[in-house]
Amino acid sequence: MLQCKDVTKETSDYIEGGLPLSKRIALFLHLAICRCCRNYLQQIRKTIETVSTLHPQEMDVTDHQALARKLHALNQKAKSDGH
Amino acid sequence: MIKNVFKSQRDNENTLIQHLVEGDSAAFEHVVAEYHNLMLSVARAIVGDSIADEVVQEAWISAIKALPKFEARSSLKTWLVQIVSNGAKSRIRRENRYTSLDIGWEAVPSDKFDPTGHRINDVLPWDIATPEAMLANTQLQKTIEQAFRSLPAMQRATITMIDMEGYKIDEVCNILALSSSNARVLLHRARVAVHNAIELYQDK
Repeated sequence: MLQCKDVTKETSDYIEGGLPLSKRIALFLHLAICRCCRNYLQQIRKTIETVSTLHPQEMDVTDHQALARKLHALNQKAKSDGH
Repeated sequence: MIKNVFKSQRDNENTLIQHLVEGDSAAFEHVVAEYHNLMLSVARAIVGDSIADEVVQEAWISAIKALPKFEARSSLKTWLVQIVSNGAKSRIRRENRYTSLDIGWEAVPSDKFDPTGHRINDVLPWDIATPEAMLANTQLQKTIEQAFRSLPAMQRATITMIDMEGYKIDEVCNILALSSSNARVLLHRARVAVHNAIELYQDK
């Protein structure tokens, strides 16, 4: 019998459809009788929605403008070398 | 302003690529602003922090040189990510990369369950605001960003690619050279870490 603790480990696989059928059925049946786990699943879905909306970024100290200028210059050079 | 020039043409990559090939400086600024962070995430996941910047710079240079031959069989993003992934993989010995899958990891602390493994306390559904309200909530944004940046690089890349950039698990496995089971574990751990941060924020 599946426990709430097991559900917390399988939530993403359940959402992504990555569980084998027997586990998927067991989890589905557990969710049908357990409000706590249904709510935990809802929280994880909300987490995904929040991350997707807020789109946190890597820490990045690169000077994007300087990099763009460097690539642009490289492109110009390649063009002039090609002609 | 530069972003706006191409925002309306986001679906038309051919135009953007044409601008790049022709040497339109605004197009270069646009692609760097749009894709550098994702490329950095992929590089850090594969080679670690110390040489990731170098790997990304090299990937950009390779991409710009190869640009006239870009045939648009994939999107520009997919192509750039593949270049950085290939560059990073050629720099790393793979056996060092799986240490973050520690045994004993728990999504929810053990003391939240009774001896039979069932929840002791009730779990309530979250009533999180609309996307617009989320974007207006600077404290929530800060919380998510802190939680995200505290994750190991491989988890950051996995959650970025799947939950933010819309990649499929098998694509991520290919780009980051991960097994499917490892990718799933990393994705879940990343989500749980962010979940736990949101939970703490809501309890405040």
